[in-house]
Amino acid sequence: MDFVVSQILTGLSLSSILLLVALGLAVIYGVTGVINLAHGEFVMLGAYCAWMLQTQFGWGLLASLVPIFILIAILGWLIEVLVIRHLYDRPLDTILATWGLGVMIQQIVRLTAGGELRYVQMPPSLSRSVNILGATDSAYRLFVLGVALALFALTWFIYSYTSFGLKLRAITQNRSIASCFGINSARAYRLTFAYGAGIAGLAGALISPLKSVSPEMGTTYVVDAFMVVVLGGVQSLLGTLVSSGLLGEISGLLAYYSNDTIAKALVLLAIVIIIRFRPQGLFAQRVRA
Amino acid sequence: MSGKVSLQILLYGVVCLAILLVPMVIDDAFLLNKYSRYLVFGILAIALALSWGYAGILNLGQATTFGLGSYCMAMYLKLKTVPIHTGSDGLPDFMVWNNVTELPWIWEPFYSTPFALAAGILVPALFAGLLGWFMFGGRVTGVYAAIITLAAMVVVNLIIIDQQSYTGGFNGITDLAQFQLFGFEFDAYSATTYYLVAICLTFALFLSLAVTRSKTGLILQAVRDQEERVRFFGYDVAVYKTFVFAFSAAIAGLAGMLYTIVMEFASPTFLGVPLSLSIVIWVAVGGRQSLLGAMLGALLVTGVQGALSESETFLDTWTLVMGGLFVLIVLFLPNGLAGAFETIVRRFMPAAKTPTEQADEEHAKGTAQLGGAA
Amino acid sequence: MTTAHEGLLSLREATVSFHGFVAVDHLDLDVGAGELRCLIGPNGAGKTTTLDLICGKSKITSGEISFKGAPIHMLNEFQIARTGIGRKFQVPSVFRQLSVRENLCIGRSRNPGVLHNLFQFGLSTDREWLEEIAVLVGLQDEMETLAAHLSHGQTQWLEIALILAQNPALILMDEPTAGMTAHETTKTAMLFNRLRGKHTLIVVEHDMGFVRDIAETISVMHQGKLLAQGSTEEVSHDPRVREAYLGSGGIGHA
Repeated sequence: MDFVVSQILTGLSLSSILLLVALGLAVIYGVTGVINLAHGEFVMLGAYCAWMLQTQFGWGLLASLVPIFILIAILGWLIEVLVIRHLYDRPLDTILATWGLGVMIQQIVRLTAGGELRYVQMPPSLSRSVNILGATDSAYRLFVLGVALALFALTWFIYSYTSFGLKLRAITQNRSIASCFGINSARAYRLTFAYGAGIAGLAGALISPLKSVSPEMGTTYVVDAFMVVVLGGVQSLLGTLVSSGLLGEISGLLAYYSNDTIAKALVLLAIVIIIRFRPQGLFAQRVRA
Repeated sequence: MSGKVSLQILLYGVVCLAILLVPMVIDDAFLLNKYSRYLVFGILAIALALSWGYAGILNLGQATTFGLGSYCMAMYLKLKTVPIHTGSDGLPDFMVWNNVTELPWIWEPFYSTPFALAAGILVPALFAGLLGWFMFGGRVTGVYAAIITLAAMVVVNLIIIDQQSYTGGFNGITDLAQFQLFGFEFDAYSATTYYLVAICLTFALFLSLAVTRSKTGLILQAVRDQEERVRFFGYDVAVYKTFVFAFSAAIAGLAGMLYTIVMEFASPTFLGVPLSLSIVIWVAVGGRQSLLGAMLGALLVTGVQGALSESETFLDTWTLVMGGLFVLIVLFLPNGLAGAFETIVRRFMPAAKTPTEQADEEHAKGTAQLGGAA
Repeated sequence: MTTAHEGLLSLREATVSFHGFVAVDHLDLDVGAGELRCLIGPNGAGKTTTLDLICGKSKITSGEISFKGAPIHMLNEFQIARTGIGRKFQVPSVFRQLSVRENLCIGRSRNPGVLHNLFQFGLSTDREWLEEIAVLVGLQDEMETLAAHLSHGQTQWLEIALILAQNPALILMDEPTAGMTAHETTKTAMLFNRLRGKHTLIVVEHDMGFVRDIAETISVMHQGKLLAQGSTEEVSHDPRVREAYLGSGGIGHA
């Protein structure tokens, strides 16, 4: 029993990280159709911001979260204005441009903060264990899970119940017609990109005490996030939630039972097969044309 | 029309000749080795320009087929080292360290020179053929195809690293014999090897030029513009795309084999994400719709990179500059330096027709059309 | 009516539905060899979808489509094209980054194999034939022009020329005169009258003047079904047709 609960908790913790990382990518991809390969670098920047605020200014992690969100969101906004905006009708080129941006961000961090691993302190109030049904789990991991779910709920609410969300859905259906009805789609895209980037930054900050922080850390996350989005379906926020839950539990099990390298290869193989046979994702009905 | 073609052949010929003449001027073995490496990258760029520039298939995993070719050559040369670098039973050293007692069946045929040389080209082509058939048969296009090529590369890379006892794992295959063919000995640091690479480059360039100049090449360009439309003329688009994908892989495989000869080892980094990204950058800089442009792009970028690589900080800064340059080129110069060159030529010779000219602006409209009609 | 023509294409109970919406509903349609058939109907009648079904762009949900006596509805687009069916799309679809000559060369798809075409160089094959087609549509002086630089009417003609280069037995034309000037439309009507007999044509058109100029038999579709069929005279006096077009100002303005 303890074992089952603790296995589930491990999976949930992995799921919450996946959800955090994938949410921003899913929002950007779902609304603008851009696969942002610099997404992992946004996550990495969030983690570095947390590290910097902590070591240079003595800020606690919890206090840093909102400033980090705003900082990375501004960066996303700038990138949209300077680069992405010009490429909406050249989808292959957005991959290349965001890839190039990712390389630049990585290099800038390497040149300024150095290539060595960095560590971020957990908030003291959360660095204890909690007992759940006989199994113990770190309070911080539960906190991350809570934040992930709250962010998801917020995004869901914005998308489904606000007038801005309605506009987004209209744009997703048909950008030019939405524009004819007076919806400022350029502004909506910009805000979406900024929001997605902000969430990625937040994800990075939240992950930073759990993993080591390095300039290369983004690469893994962009792959994971992309996998979640592909599995969940481009147009489906709920799909993102379900697939991150599923993938988290599965990778928890795989890591327990088998060799890490092969597990990774199997997951990638699964992506390839899903793209080939169900490009609209496992949980979505429709796909962006 | 025909005048323009012969002008192009002349231009390609002059460049190849210039490359072949380099050892007449330079006899520094280290420099020649370095230049041979750049030329290998040039071949690799030609391979990507074929699939990306001509057929619109953005292969983010071009290094996969390059690496496969490289490993084929490394396996062949490793078996030639017997008995110096091997264990008591003539087994490659890393197998002995991994407690492998007999040569795996997959290594067995690499004792044969013709087999090994053919495998270096056919194994990558077959791999790409299968992957291409899998993707294009299911009509996976654009961004999704790009992601599949990337994922497939990481899978192959992981498998190679994981199967340490058969592949040497992280360390790759090292301590190789010197490549010998028809009585020539190809020392990595010699003009002989340089000539081998330069001749292969010339061959790959002209063979690819012939493909792009054939009607098949024309149809591939049509597929790039409007894939759907081509089907309604009776062309099996999946077969065409699979063909060019496999052909491009064969050329990358050739480049991989040469790379092993030049570098004297094979490593999992040969089929890594960073190299694949670099190939895309070279081709983007040089011009994806020009074979010569892409090739020169590779020489230019790797050349500058090589000149700066003396210092670690320089190299890091260079990567940053490269990333920025790449983004700018994607934004403002989708046809790279070759495209810019053509525009300039056109300005001075208004009669000349340049196929890639105007393509930049028209690109978006063309691809969107059939979707709009549906 | 058109019994003089030998049957070439027949649709039997052809039906297609998209997520529950029935776009073509148990459609029966027969077209004889050498015929020039006009397909008209109010917006949303299923005309374009019918062409899509014939050329394989969409698949029928039930029913049968046969061409030259053999069923074709389970074939791929390219296989259907190889049986001798060509399609011109509503929005002109040509290869904008290629020249007119290169476009025509692609249209000439008698030998669609990849290996065969690997050894075809210099666009020399069928050169004269392609020039002839270019003359037919008035593009002979634009052979080296990029398709992207053609006017809208010229683009329409280029696509028609591509189909002629393909030389299929059956040509499906979706609004070939859309966006053409009156003069261009007249020229197109003359061209179609020349094609009559050599090719079988199915033309979807809204321009009734054009339809009167070319049609021998008109099929009227409404709500995915065949509503009426006959000569221009017969169809325009059919009360059901008049009713179907009510609200859109009568058949002449459809």
